[in-house]
Amino acid sequence: MRLPRLKQSRRLSYTDYLYNFFATITGLTIFNWEFIKQAFLPPYEISEIKKHMDELGVKTFGIVSITGLIIGLVLAMQSQPVLQRFGATDFLPGMVALSVVRELGPVITALIFAGRVSSGIGAELGSMRVTEQIDAMEVSAVNPFKFLVVTRIIATTMILPILSVYVIIIAIFGGYIAVIITENMNIHYYIDSVLRSVEFGDFIPGVAKTFVFGYIVGLVGCYKGFTAEGGTEGVGRASTTSVVLSSLLILIFDMILVKISLWIWPTLG
Amino acid sequence: MDMANSRLVEIKNLSKRFDELIVLDNISLEVYRAENLVVFGRSGQGKSVLLKCIIGLMHPDSGEVLINGQNIFELSISQLNKLRKNIGFLFQGSALYDSMSVRENLSFPLKRHFPEMKHSDISDKVFSTLELVGLEDAIDKMPSELSGGMKKRIALARSIITDPQLMLYDEPTTGLDPITTKEISELILNLQKKLNMTSIAVTHDLICAEIIADRAIFLKDAKVAYEGSIKELTDSKDPFLKNFFSNEIIKV
Repeated sequence: MRLPRLKQSRRLSYTDYLYNFFATITGLTIFNWEFIKQAFLPPYEISEIKKHMDELGVKTFGIVSITGLIIGLVLAMQSQPVLQRFGATDFLPGMVALSVVRELGPVITALIFAGRVSSGIGAELGSMRVTEQIDAMEVSAVNPFKFLVVTRIIATTMILPILSVYVIIIAIFGGYIAVIITENMNIHYYIDSVLRSVEFGDFIPGVAKTFVFGYIVGLVGCYKGFTAEGGTEGVGRASTTSVVLSSLLILIFDMILVKISLWIWPTLG
Repeated sequence: MDMANSRLVEIKNLSKRFDELIVLDNISLEVYRAENLVVFGRSGQGKSVLLKCIIGLMHPDSGEVLINGQNIFELSISQLNKLRKNIGFLFQGSALYDSMSVRENLSFPLKRHFPEMKHSDISDKVFSTLELVGLEDAIDKMPSELSGGMKKRIALARSIITDPQLMLYDEPTTGLDPITTKEISELILNLQKKLNMTSIAVTHDLICAEIIADRAIFLKDAKVAYEGSIKELTDSKDPFLKNFFSNEIIKV
């Protein structure tokens, strides 16, 4: 696998930036293709995948819990006065649930995950690259791409949907807390309203896209880390550009996937 | 002894460049079995690139590297990995895996090169190799808990754990104080005698070279500029060599 090298300098011209932009797209495409080729070939390194799923999931658990709770709270607090003006506060549980299930839960979890995990992967692999640990692995008859990259991408792809479902549940609970502060609403009524408003067709596209987001986080973090060069400065660059690029790609793919899901399930519109 | 059979490594017309910078220019070299070759050269003269080409971590633009008569650039990945069982590589910065303990660092190449090896045999081999470098007490430490000299010793233990025929050392004593440098160099020499290994060591450390070298070459302007024993090189009247080695001695 030969990846295009980015131009590294303190003073880059506009043409250098343009070159780096296309080199990154080309590099990510080659990296993606390499993943597809190698993911289905043995050895499968199951224990490494489990280890990364455990580490990445546990590391992100705390921050997504707080985020989920706040999303639900804020959404309900912001919407309540508007709905009250129209005498439609009964719709509040459904509105919170639909917003969280369809869009906010998956996208915000993915963005938090990108900030926490993509930068971590970028820094970890980048530091392994500049300290020759990746070369040492190759000398020990290990395919570093398979051992380091494929396992992490599979782990992020599997763990993000689980985290997203968890965030959705926490956010709906957060919405309930906001509601009971001002409204006298029974928990059973709240849950019943949520379940009546959210259909299976709402849930599937929301969660399905988190597989793509998880894949993006893993792919970008691994690509940036694996191609890091230039000592500790290179490691820092790998870490920050991983977050920026994966967050941007998450938002771009969200737009594309929403369009696709509306095309598949026109009733969602 | 038949000279052709006694050659373990043959490098033929090896060239490598990075963009406009030529780092190896048509280099040819032979290393004989049980010989310790030291490669001198100033920083950025392609010494590490030469080692990485020998083990197949880097591909040259042209030329061949033959180990036991096999051109490593014509081997498949599985054939190359099989060959790498017999080659140890000590990296400049030790390259210990940060996320693994000393035990796991040493077990890693064994598990990968010998998947059929029993867990108990791996543990025994790890312990006996750590004994060779005198660091059996560090078995459950993490790399971050080790000093520079200890890291080098552990990295050395990891690189010899598969009992390689050929050892490649990339600056084995860089960044170490003179006493530790001497200790590591003597350790390298003792291990080589004990395990009957061939070695290629890249260095600009004269203390290390004097202890381990049977023969030395000097890379300059991407070519092998000088060749001979350490004494021949250090006693040379050539102004460049005189200058290089006098600086080395002053530094020591």
